[in-house]
Amino acid sequence: MMLLERGLIEFLLSIVTREELNAFLRSPQNTATLVGALIAVCGALLGTFLLLRGMSLTSDAISHTVLLGIVVAFLLMTETFGLEGDTSSPWLILGASLAGVATVVLTEMLYRSGLVKQDAALGLAFPLLFAIAVILVSRFVDDVHLDEDAVLVGEIGLAWANTNSHCFDHCESVTITPDHPAAKQTRQCVNCRELGISPRDEGAEFRRICSNCGDYTPAQAYRAGLLEREPLLVFFPKSITVMLLMTALTLVFVLLFFKELKLSTFDPGLAQALGLRPGWLNYGLMILVSLVAVGAFDAVGSILVIAFFIVPPAAAYLLTDRLSLMLFASPLIGAAGAVFGYDLARGQLFGVLPVSAGIAALNRLFGLELVERWDSSISASMVLMIFALFLLAWVFSPRYGLLSTMIRRANRRRRFADQVVLAHIHNHQHTALHKTECRMDTLHRHFRWRRGRMQRVMARLRALGYVRVVAGIAELTARGDRQVHAFRQTMLEANNMPDLE
Amino acid sequence: MAPGIALSSADRRVWLIIGAIIFAGLVTIPLSQQVFGLRLTYTVRVVALGGSILGVISGVLGCFAVLRQESLLGDALSHAALPGVAIAFLLAGRELSVLLIGAGIASWLGLRMVAAILNTTRIKQDTALGIVLVSWFAAGIALLAYIQAIPDASQAGLDHFIFGQAAAIIERDVTLVSGVGLAVLLFIALFWKEFKLVTFDAEFAGANGFRVGLINTVLSTLIVITIVLGLQLAGVILMVGMLIAPGIAARQWTHKLDQMVILAAVFGAFSGGVGAVISALDSDIPTGPMIIVVAFGLVLLSITLAPERGLLWRRLSQRANRRRFAAQNTLRDIYRYALSHGGADSLAPADFIRGVGDRSAELGLRQLRAAGQAAPGDGGWRLTESGIQQARQIARNERLWDMYRLYAHELELPILQEVRQVDIASVLPAAAVKQLESKLQEVDDSA
Repeated sequence: MMLLERGLIEFLLSIVTREELNAFLRSPQNTATLVGALIAVCGALLGTFLLLRGMSLTSDAISHTVLLGIVVAFLLMTETFGLEGDTSSPWLILGASLAGVATVVLTEMLYRSGLVKQDAALGLAFPLLFAIAVILVSRFVDDVHLDEDAVLVGEIGLAWANTNSHCFDHCESVTITPDHPAAKQTRQCVNCRELGISPRDEGAEFRRICSNCGDYTPAQAYRAGLLEREPLLVFFPKSITVMLLMTALTLVFVLLFFKELKLSTFDPGLAQALGLRPGWLNYGLMILVSLVAVGAFDAVGSILVIAFFIVPPAAAYLLTDRLSLMLFASPLIGAAGAVFGYDLARGQLFGVLPVSAGIAALNRLFGLELVERWDSSISASMVLMIFALFLLAWVFSPRYGLLSTMIRRANRRRRFADQVVLAHIHNHQHTALHKTECRMDTLHRHFRWRRGRMQRVMARLRALGYVRVVAGIAELTARGDRQVHAFRQTMLEANNMPDLE
Repeated sequence: MAPGIALSSADRRVWLIIGAIIFAGLVTIPLSQQVFGLRLTYTVRVVALGGSILGVISGVLGCFAVLRQESLLGDALSHAALPGVAIAFLLAGRELSVLLIGAGIASWLGLRMVAAILNTTRIKQDTALGIVLVSWFAAGIALLAYIQAIPDASQAGLDHFIFGQAAAIIERDVTLVSGVGLAVLLFIALFWKEFKLVTFDAEFAGANGFRVGLINTVLSTLIVITIVLGLQLAGVILMVGMLIAPGIAARQWTHKLDQMVILAAVFGAFSGGVGAVISALDSDIPTGPMIIVVAFGLVLLSITLAPERGLLWRRLSQRANRRRFAAQNTLRDIYRYALSHGGADSLAPADFIRGVGDRSAELGLRQLRAAGQAAPGDGGWRLTESGIQQARQIARNERLWDMYRLYAHELELPILQEVRQVDIASVLPAAAVKQLESKLQEVDDSA
């Protein structure tokens, strides 16, 4: 992990200077946005396949159970092995992901027993595992990085502060022994507490101790004033490393198995027949979903993470029919949501509209007394912005959007109206009834339409040059005639009927 | 066995379980006092009462959610209640009934949103549920974070709606919950027929002129109300467990809706009450999760122990069947082999018997040897005289079963489950067996 980070930083340092890199990473906004965008990319890529396989809620499943895995692994680490609790430790990530996969398998077994329906199996297993995890957290874990709030929303806003430091020059680690000139010697009473006396009393025994002895990393040494030259340090947030690793894994998995994933998603039977092992691929997908859920736990908690899996692919699904385009669009949507989400949490909607102005307007309109300063959860805001992008896709999608559907329906209704009116005139214009059937002022009655509608349709037909009005009677122009015949022809061909005319 | 007797034994079983659960619930009270040193203070009693009442309501409504396969809808709707709580607090302050109305409205809007997504796009139900669940929940979290940033003490306790907290419940809340809950239960009782019909066969209900859409909406709304009532105790994330777990447990014990609903109510009362009491033992244990754990314990018990459906029961009956029919099946295998290899008393190789009979072959051979119907020798087994007699009888029984399968409809015989190892004369009236025998005679003559 450290090695990976170092390589990455060396690469980055060949592009930017150290000061620039540190300044970039030390800004909470940059780090939070970057982590959010990386989560969004992983989630959207995997979520696309989950959505197409009808397994969207599996991510919900996994995120709930992964929490239990994290808590148990965390307790094992701190209580049994006496390690420092760290939710980005590779062991914890591995253990918790295994827990995620195990639960998926268990739920499948539960509903295959035939006693419980699939939805009930899901609805039962996840609250249970989540409940156990919450009880464990609130009862046994006493740690700032793992409390109920962190479970819910994570702490993406603090991601910048949890860093590994890497030193590139003047890297002198300092060890202070009692003989070192900088060592601070003091004495401590060894039997005061035992005897209940103060160090000034008689009978107190002392020993000499060194208060600042020990090993110092270059960063600590410089801070403690033990080094004269400032070491060249880069502080790299752990969350970014973890999520970069997850993104790389996800990308490799999707690119390497793209053909297999595509086939087993759309035609599992054929994939099986071709020997592609869709079962194994499925487990691979589940493992990656678990890994991403664990990796993202620090940043966004265990519930909101499912938004990154479900919502961007759903939005992309409304925009395109092509898998490859979906795989491009959904990470973009997710990442854009992460970027806008940070702004929203800090009070800017889409980076331009201040939320406080909206609250002020509400206050004025309804006479409320709401506080106008909007400062909210970053991860929840990211989810809200992703949802806002989904809503935009839902309304404005060129093919499946509400708006385009409405326009398409209106067009179809208009075309139908044109055609029936043209057909009506065509049927009657060379007959004896022409004068009664096609009179402009009574025409609407033959269709049982309102007069206004007929006027609109006739105005359109006359503007198109299909119909002309002679002495209050409608008749087809040559162009209108051609139109009717062309339409008749297509209808007859579509129904395989001979032309009797 | 006449059907009337079978039914009443199932009924008796259900009542027995209800009694046992009530007994267990009553035992918990002195147990918690003696063993865990819980003092049944006024607060604890109020909390336990509230938990039980909520358990009854959510158990009853949960039955419908489970049977209509809407468990995950319950999950989405309970998450979706959170922003309503926050907005209601912002607008009207910390008054429980107002907060719950807000929660109900938000949850109901979530329901409409799911329906709108399903109706106007090609997104499938699970995805639509996921979208609404997480977006509404995020809105709630964002609003709660905004509220918490307000320098004002009165927002304290609002986040209890996320995981539930029993200590926050006071007598007035219990009164409110009981009142609304009673109304919901009355509604269910009044429109019992409609709800039952729509749950099991919506098409039939529609064809008979019931307004299925309206009834569905009413039922969903009742589920929303139930979820909202439970929020303070179970919290938005875990409310779905409290809703469906009692129903799932009850489903294992009975095939009748009315019994299932009563059982679920009792299970719900038990898990709500006991869960609330346990969480009152230690202030670090949130109530919602504890109730879920107790309820899941009941589910686990039910799917293991329940007669006919339970895992244990199925395992035992499979084993009993294997024992019961092992000798018979092995005898049949040997007889068939022997007939096609030179006569009823010729030798059947041991490998063949084991290959055909699998695990029960060994057991069957042991039983046959003990009964003196087959004897080992020359690397195989040979039927004895009494074995051949027995085998002929079995073969004839199987042929009668064949006749039953072919002509039962024509001869208007009663419909039976075909267990071909069973002597057909023991399950069919003598006259019917006579008819089958004459049919067999006809077939043999014509051959």
